[in-house]
Amino acid sequence: MTPPIHSQRRAVLKQFLSASTLAMVASSGLLLPQCVLAHWPSDAFTAETVEDVLLALMGQAEAIEETGVKFTVGKPTKLITDGQSVTVEIASELANIERVAILVDNNPNPLVMSFELTDNVMMPLKTRIKIVAGESQLIAVIRAEGKLYKTTRDVRVYAGGNA
Amino acid sequence: MGMLQHDRIRATLREGHTEIRVLLIHPMASGREQNKMSVEAVSSPHFIQDIRCWRNGEQMLAVKCGPATAENPYFSFQLVGGESGDKIKVRWVDNIGQKGIVEVKVN
Repeated sequence: MTPPIHSQRRAVLKQFLSASTLAMVASSGLLLPQCVLAHWPSDAFTAETVEDVLLALMGQAEAIEETGVKFTVGKPTKLITDGQSVTVEIASELANIERVAILVDNNPNPLVMSFELTDNVMMPLKTRIKIVAGESQLIAVIRAEGKLYKTTRDVRVYAGGNA
Repeated sequence: MGMLQHDRIRATLREGHTEIRVLLIHPMASGREQNKMSVEAVSSPHFIQDIRCWRNGEQMLAVKCGPATAENPYFSFQLVGGESGDKIKVRWVDNIGQKGIVEVKVN
């Protein structure tokens, strides 16, 4: 009825929103890999930035290191003519790898896939992914013993994939 | 199309490890596919979300996929050790609940 009531309502709504967002971030940060293993992590797959994906998928981990991960992209490696199917191979000498994620920063949802490994799985991993047209960064992130390791590769795609 | 297509799996014993290669037949539609004649999307999302691999009944690997996984998903990975006769099983589930299983014995 009167403006004060409306503005109050707005404020309450705002508070509620930020509180629930915080709660989401907190719970995703606290999720252990074991819990996530049971279902499809939709918050990580629908996230729209690389940071949000990592927060949702990798939880709290120590600072990212730019070593320890190697990967090969496409054949030939630099120019990719067909973004519908790009071969990616990931290798690493790290021990006790818990998780490997593949991301493309310019895809509508950056997270492409996430591998959850047991001690019985060895690198390299190889798969095929879609990448949108234009210049993107392909990112491989590994979580091992509570630490994150990241490698980035610039790729240019002529015919984009429907990622 | 036209050809009979089905999921395929190969397990090969190497020195100290077993190489697994899997090819699944699936459209992996993101829902962003477009008909060249119109701007309307021609598909709704239909993609594999979860792939798991077991060796002799013990889970080895789980892969969570988004729609940016290429059509007819292909994976290769290595299992530590292994011997002839090991049973390798791969099971997939997509976002609308369809599923499939492929099995092979290591030779």
